[in-house]
Amino acid sequence: MTQRKSPTAILHEGPRALSSDQVREIEESDLAGVLHVDIDDVIEYVHKDLKSLPGFTTLYRRYLKQRWDVYDLDFTQDKADWDEKMTEDERQSFIAVASGFHHGERQVEIELPVFMIGASEEEKLHIAAQIEDEARHTVFFDRFYREVVGLQGDDIMDILDASFPWVSETFVGPFGLLAYQADEVRRNPYDERARVRYGTNYFLWIEGVLALSVMKVTLSYARWRGFLPAYYTGFTATCRDESRHVQGGMRYLQQAVRKDPSMIGEIHNTLRTILSLSGVNSRQIYYEPLGWTEDEVRMLFFQQLRRKLNDVGIDLTPDLEELLRRVQPVLAGG
Amino acid sequence: MAEPTFFGKEWAGVVRDALTAGPSEQARRDKLPMYWDFFDRIRSAYPASWALGCRNLPAAPGEGPAYLFVQWAGGVVTSCQVVGPDEPLDATYVLGMDYPDWKALHDGYDAQRTVMYRKIMLEDGDLLEFFKGIYFFVECLAVIAAVPARYPAPVQGLRAR
Repeated sequence: MTQRKSPTAILHEGPRALSSDQVREIEESDLAGVLHVDIDDVIEYVHKDLKSLPGFTTLYRRYLKQRWDVYDLDFTQDKADWDEKMTEDERQSFIAVASGFHHGERQVEIELPVFMIGASEEEKLHIAAQIEDEARHTVFFDRFYREVVGLQGDDIMDILDASFPWVSETFVGPFGLLAYQADEVRRNPYDERARVRYGTNYFLWIEGVLALSVMKVTLSYARWRGFLPAYYTGFTATCRDESRHVQGGMRYLQQAVRKDPSMIGEIHNTLRTILSLSGVNSRQIYYEPLGWTEDEVRMLFFQQLRRKLNDVGIDLTPDLEELLRRVQPVLAGG
Repeated sequence: MAEPTFFGKEWAGVVRDALTAGPSEQARRDKLPMYWDFFDRIRSAYPASWALGCRNLPAAPGEGPAYLFVQWAGGVVTSCQVVGPDEPLDATYVLGMDYPDWKALHDGYDAQRTVMYRKIMLEDGDLLEFFKGIYFFVECLAVIAAVPARYPAPVQGLRAR
């Protein structure tokens, strides 16, 4: 963690090719080695295979190699950084961003099992692995909030309750929708249209856009400042896990559209709902102490959305382009 | 003045007044103006109706699950009434929640997690259309739950699920 690249440098870099050494470092680093991996490289790595999406068995084999033990992390230095080095503004901004993840990881863990029912046998392996990943990420945040932030509680739900006041009211948009979509899939697990709508929200929007963008904010801050090494390590490893989830999810959506081109309408309808909600905030989150502005974060969202749609070959309708144009901020000098 | 009974006729009238008045000044102060602009925009053009069910409602013998029917048009509630189990139900969105979760919401549990943790569920209606107005719905649910009412039975030990 010696590099001090600007947190927002990725906004201006655009797509770039990773060297074979960089790919090897991302794919093969053990947990201790992940501390030295650049988060921008991991986010770029998510897109590396989107055009030639790997199969579910390949993703499952990667999971077996990349799986990490959340209890191997030592948060002692993070606690010292949190208490002694970070300013109150930095702590408040960090926790406002991280709390969305604390709850988001829990939500994507519990809403995924129903999607497995209607999946192919190979995809079931991948989804089973993903559920275990998400459970591990939930424990990661539970440990971070207990051992670094200092929240107290008897069980995981107590800690979730304690961090919930930092979660924005607009969180219910994508995550409430996911809960209801999961129920729709539960009632009709082989309804491919319901599964595509669910997959669009879960894999494309929540994991592919929201998660990767907001991960980038706290991780680039930690790397930039040289703080929170266990958080950086665990969350960068989480990002590597998410790359498999996004690739698997995009493969599912791509196959669904190839099999039945009318499925594109389900993707568009889902994006229409999501985008109609995404230009609204209920509270001010000050990203500046972490090196970002709100407009830069939203710009990152839409860059991530565009790249995934382009890579997977999903075009937007004119009304969706217009909706996107209206909710997308324009960065000065961006 | 005695509080109206939860899911009684008088209660529905108070709910109607509360929805017409909208979220409290305190609630409005706690969130950004852009959020309330969005709320007001949705409300002004909301063409739909809700049937909000209460399952396991402690009631006299012969009575059972009931729905609070709320019709919106032109930014106001044009109908708000309790519909009994034997009466016809025709609403754009039908949702259901157990009595203990209604009680928990009344006692201060937040409306956002009431949706996110699937305590209240959409039983009938277009899901994607419903969610275009989800912030409006969640705020209205909080308003309904905050209406003073006499709840017929105590509930203990609720946890998320």
